[in-house]
Amino acid sequence: MYGGDEVSAIVVDLGSHTCKAGYAGEDAPKAVFPSVVGAVDGIEAMDVDVESAKGNSNSEDSKTNESEKEKGKRKLYVGSQALNYRRDHMEILSPIKDGVVSDWDLVDNIWDHAFRGCLMIDPKEHPMLLAEPPLNTQQQREKAAELMFEKYKVPALFMAKNPVLTSFATGRATSLVVDCGGGSTTISPVHEGYVLQKAVVSAPIGGEFLTDCLLKSLESKGIKVRPRYSFKRKEVRPGEFQVEDVGVPDTTESYKLFCQRMIVGDIKDSICRVPDTPYDDKSYANIPTTSYELPDGQTLEIGADRFKIPDVLFNPSIVQTIPGMEKYADMIPSVRGLPHMVMESINKCDVDIRRELYSSVLLAGGTSSMQQLKERLEKDLIEESPHSARVKVLASGNTTERRFSVWIGGSILASLGSFQQMWFSKSEYEEHGASYIQRKCP
Amino acid sequence: MGGTDAKDILHGLPKTPSLSLNQEKKSRPHKESHRKPDGISREVYALTGGVAPLMPSIDVNHLKRRPPPDEKVAWQWLPVKSSARKDDLQLYHWVRVVNDVPPTGDYSFAKYNKSVDVLKYTDDEYENHLTDPVWTKEETDQLFELCERFDLRFTVIADRFPLSRTIEELKDRYYSVTRALLRARAQSPAELANHPLIKEPYDMSRDRERKRALSMVLSQSRHQEKKDAEILAEAKRITEMRLAARRAAEPDVPANENIGSVSPSSNSQLPATAVAPSTLTMADYASTLASLRMLHVYLRTYGLEQMVQAASSAVGLRTIKRVEQTLQDLGVNLKPKVPTKTVCDEHLELRKEILTLLNLQKQLQYKESEGSSHREGTYAAMPDTPKDRVFASEPFSFGAERPIKKEQKRKGPGRQADTPSPAHKRPRKMKASDL
Repeated sequence: MYGGDEVSAIVVDLGSHTCKAGYAGEDAPKAVFPSVVGAVDGIEAMDVDVESAKGNSNSEDSKTNESEKEKGKRKLYVGSQALNYRRDHMEILSPIKDGVVSDWDLVDNIWDHAFRGCLMIDPKEHPMLLAEPPLNTQQQREKAAELMFEKYKVPALFMAKNPVLTSFATGRATSLVVDCGGGSTTISPVHEGYVLQKAVVSAPIGGEFLTDCLLKSLESKGIKVRPRYSFKRKEVRPGEFQVEDVGVPDTTESYKLFCQRMIVGDIKDSICRVPDTPYDDKSYANIPTTSYELPDGQTLEIGADRFKIPDVLFNPSIVQTIPGMEKYADMIPSVRGLPHMVMESINKCDVDIRRELYSSVLLAGGTSSMQQLKERLEKDLIEESPHSARVKVLASGNTTERRFSVWIGGSILASLGSFQQMWFSKSEYEEHGASYIQRKCP
Repeated sequence: MGGTDAKDILHGLPKTPSLSLNQEKKSRPHKESHRKPDGISREVYALTGGVAPLMPSIDVNHLKRRPPPDEKVAWQWLPVKSSARKDDLQLYHWVRVVNDVPPTGDYSFAKYNKSVDVLKYTDDEYENHLTDPVWTKEETDQLFELCERFDLRFTVIADRFPLSRTIEELKDRYYSVTRALLRARAQSPAELANHPLIKEPYDMSRDRERKRALSMVLSQSRHQEKKDAEILAEAKRITEMRLAARRAAEPDVPANENIGSVSPSSNSQLPATAVAPSTLTMADYASTLASLRMLHVYLRTYGLEQMVQAASSAVGLRTIKRVEQTLQDLGVNLKPKVPTKTVCDEHLELRKEILTLLNLQKQLQYKESEGSSHREGTYAAMPDTPKDRVFASEPFSFGAERPIKKEQKRKGPGRQADTPSPAHKRPRKMKASDL
C-alpha cells in the first residue's frame, strides 16, 4: 500500500438523518440506520427479544436485537429493524436538534447499537474516528470525548469535521463543500485540510424539510398517506386487493409522522427533480404528471410538485405558497437560496483563495443526489460569479458515494500511515483532560 | 502490498504451477525460432516481433523476483511504536515477519512528521526587542502558538485567531517579530544578509493593495462586467466616428507653416521643377505626414489620395489602371496640380464618372454578346468568339463605343470567314488605326 496502514480503526458518522458506522479502509459503511430512537415510557417490560426476531428482515447483513436500556423505566429501541415494528406509546426522539447534539443519552444508545449490535466489535480494541459538524462547540466535543473514553474505553480517538472528510474523499485539500444533509444544508470552505470557521454558512433547509413540504402539499390536496402499519391488504380476488384499516389507537403522533415521512421520502427520492429555471406556478401548471403507487395501493399523480419542492432549496420563499407550512414563514426571510449562500461563504474568505474555492465546489449529502441539482447549481453560480473565476461544481456520479462521502473520507483518513501520529490517545486524555482535544483535533 | 505478499500469505501455493509452465516451455524449443527469455509472457514477447532486443532493457531477473525459498514469511498482528508520537500509544497493525524476527526500526511513516521552524522567544527578549503599541504580549504569544500548530498557514490562523485581525496584520506582526529576533540573536550582521526574511521584508501596505485590487476584480458580477464591456465598446465606436468625421468633414483648416513648406514644392507650376520637388516630397513624405498628423493638419493631397483609394477600393486593380489611363488620355494629371477644394471635388467626380462609364461599357458588351449569340444560335457555336469580343473590347480608350460597335459589325456577318480569329486568344490591343 502506498500511504495506507491498517490499524483497524472504526469510523462513525452520526448525521441528523442516518448514522453510518464501519471499519476504516473499506469503501462503504457496514451499519446504516436512522439516527432516531424509539422510546417507550412504559411500565410494562415485554419480552421484546422474541418479538423482534419475528420482525421483517432488512437488507443489513447483521442480525440485530434492539438494545434495551432501562433508564428510569424508559425503554429505547434503536435500529431500523426495531423501529419498523410498531409499538404502543413509542415516541420517536431525535438526539440532534439544529445540528448539535441535545441528548447524550440517546447518542450513547445509538453508538452502543452500532458497535455491539451492527458491527459486533469491542470498542476497547479499536481507535475511533468520529465525524462532527463544522460548527461544533468546545463543550460538545469534550462531552463526546468523555463519553468515548469513560464508557467505551477506546484506546484512541480523533474528531474530524465533516467538510474536511468530504474534501479528502475527493482527494482535495482545498475546496468548498456544500453539504445538503437531512437536517440542514451547510456550506463550508476547507483550506489545506482545515475548515475556515468564520466563513461557514448554514441553513436549516434539508432533506427532511423538503419531505415535510411534500407531505403537507399532498395532504392539502386531500391525499391521505397511510403509514404501513395502519392498513392490511386482503386479497379479495386473485390480483385484486382490498385495503382495510387497522385500528391502532395507541400509536403516537410522532411515530405516525415518522412512518409517513419514510413513505414520502421515498416519493421525493424517486420522483422529484430540480427545475432548470426558478419555479413559477404559471409555467409549470400544465406539466405532465408522473404516477407513483403508495403502499396501500393508491396511485398518486404528481405534477407541479415534482419541481416545486426541490426549488425550495434555491428559493426558500416558495415555502409560503405551500399550505400548511406557515409556521416556517417567519424563519424564511432570513434564509437565502443555495447559490447565494455559496457566494456569501466565498466572499467571507480571503481574496487569495477565492479562485480556488470557485473551481472546486463539492456536493455531498443525501439531498445532493437529487436529479439535476448539480447542473442547476452550476448554472446559477456561473451567472452570479465574476467572469474571471472558473466555476466548477463537482459531485461523484455514484449516489451512494455522495450520501456517504463524509464516512468515506473518514475511512481514508483513518487508514493513512501518516495519520497514525495524530490520534488523541487515552493516556493523553488522562494526562491533560478532555479540553486537550481542542489542541489535538483542530 | 502486492502479488508477492498475497502469495506469502497463502504459503507459496502458486509456486508449483508456474514451475511446471517453465518446464513445458523448455521442452518445446523448436516451436519458436528463438527461445523467449524467462520472466515475460509469450504474448508480450510476440509483440516485440519475436526477436530479443539487441540491448537488454530490463534485467529479466528483476521482473518476477520471488523471495528466496529458505525464508519463512508470516504476517502477524503486532503493536507498533512510532517516534512521531510522544506518548506510548500502542496501535496494532499487520507486520511482515521474516523468520520469526519482527522488523526493527522506526515506523515507516514517522518520517512524514515535518513541522515548520517557528522561533520561540523568552520574556526578556520580548521586553527588549519586540514590544509593539498595537500588539500585547498575550496576543503575540497566541499568534506564535497558532503559527506553530498550523505550520504558518495564515489563512487558517486568521480564521482561528480569537481577536479579529486581518491576515495582513498577522503576517506583518509575525515577520517583524521574527526579523527582530534574528537580528538580536545573530552574532554578526553578515550571516543574516542572505536570510530571506531580511532580504525581502514583508510589506503590509503592498499586500493590502494587491488584495484590494484582486477583490475588485473578483467581486464584479457578470452583469457589471457585461455593462463594462458594452461601455468600452461604445466609447471605442464614438472615438472612431469622431476620427472618421474629422477626416470626412472638410473644414478649411488653416494651413500650418509646414504645409506652406510642402505645398509649394508639390504645387509647383513649373513642370520642370515638378519632378525634383516631387522626389523630395517622396523622401520625406512619410515624416511630414506623421508630423502633420500630430498637429491635426489636413493635407489636401493626402486626403484626396485617401478618398480616391476609398472610392476605388470596390473595383479591381485593372479597373483602376483603366481609369488612370483614361485620365491620362484626357490630359488630366493623376493628381491635380492645384489641390483646392473645388479642384479636388471635380477630380473625384471625374474619376467616378469614368468608373461608371467603364462599368456601363462592360455591361453593354455582355448584353451585346448575349444578344448576338442568341441571334446566331443556328450557326455552330464558336466558343472563342464571344470571348474574343469581350477581350478585344477590354482595352478601352475614351470614346471606345464607336470602335466596339464597328468591330462587332465586322465580326457579325462575316463570322464564318473569321475562323482564324480563335487563333489569337490574346486580346488585340485597340489601336488608333481601328478608329
